[in-house]
Amino acid sequence: MELLVTMLANLLATDGALLGAGIAALTGLGAGIGMGIATGKAVEATARQPEAVGKIRTMLLLGLAFAETTAIYGLLVSILLIFVA
Amino acid sequence: MINTATQLLSTSKFDGLKDKIFPSDVIVIGGFRINDSVISGFIVVFVILLAALILRLTVIRHWKTTPSAAQMFLEWLVTFFDKSADEMTEKYSGLMGPYTLGAAVYICCGVLIEMFGLRPAIADIGACFALALCTFLFIHTLGFHKNKARRLLHFLNPINIVTDLSVPVSMTFRLFGSILSGMVIMDMIYILVEGIWYIGLPLILPAVLTPLFTLFHAFIQSYVFASLTLTFVQEAIETPPKKPKRPKKKVAYANKPL
Repeated sequence: MELLVTMLANLLATDGALLGAGIAALTGLGAGIGMGIATGKAVEATARQPEAVGKIRTMLLLGLAFAETTAIYGLLVSILLIFVA
Repeated sequence: MINTATQLLSTSKFDGLKDKIFPSDVIVIGGFRINDSVISGFIVVFVILLAALILRLTVIRHWKTTPSAAQMFLEWLVTFFDKSADEMTEKYSGLMGPYTLGAAVYICCGVLIEMFGLRPAIADIGACFALALCTFLFIHTLGFHKNKARRLLHFLNPINIVTDLSVPVSMTFRLFGSILSGMVIMDMIYILVEGIWYIGLPLILPAVLTPLFTLFHAFIQSYVFASLTLTFVQEAIETPPKKPKRPKKKVAYANKPL
């Protein structure tokens, strides 16, 4: 039991940053789901009203930028954890 | 096969990446530091000014009613930003159109300079914060200029203050994160490709992947920055809705048949 605890402590002390980087990369999940939903809805809207495609495209790009931001934060955190910590 | 895999995955190869995350100081005079991002930023500004001068002296001097290709491109570029500024910020489009075009051109060229082997000018957190701070100042100056004292009602809700303060931070990290991650991924690809020279991959793979991680990022981030600026300014210069007057109930009761 003690051996396990010391092993775990050693792991966290040495590779904790790498573990954190892996967890931080999970932000991609949420961003991916959100961007998928946004794109799907934009396709639906375009199919329903093809003449509004210009407005829909601008709004879609803006929404995608907001959704992408969280993924970028995750990527930044994991890069900093790998290379700086 | 196993040998190549272990060779590729050996972490000691990536030690060089550590120094690339933050820009390194080139000139240090006491507390005054100039890093390589600042130098490439100045190069970008110089190139943009030179290009503007050349265009002014060649294309714009020979402006015609039957346009040439260069004139068409310039007109499309300027009209694109002017039109979107006109739609979003009606009264202030004369100010916001040139600002968004300038910021977009600076971001785009600042990222594309990476292709000449220099560090991108935007891959420095100071450059991103400067651009975001410009947008922040524009949002609040124009908001107060349009709505005068009524704008203060907007700050009665403490959530609005937090939202306003998070705008420059989020813009800074969006820009910095996307440009830095593109740069780091390209550097990683260069390091990986070095070990497998025999297939001719070092020639092909970076050429295929550069548009993905550098070119698209440059255009998308500059477009996103411009449109986000316009959206926030549009939000700030909206006139707050007036409270609806209460309908007089007494009159309604008086007319009601018993």
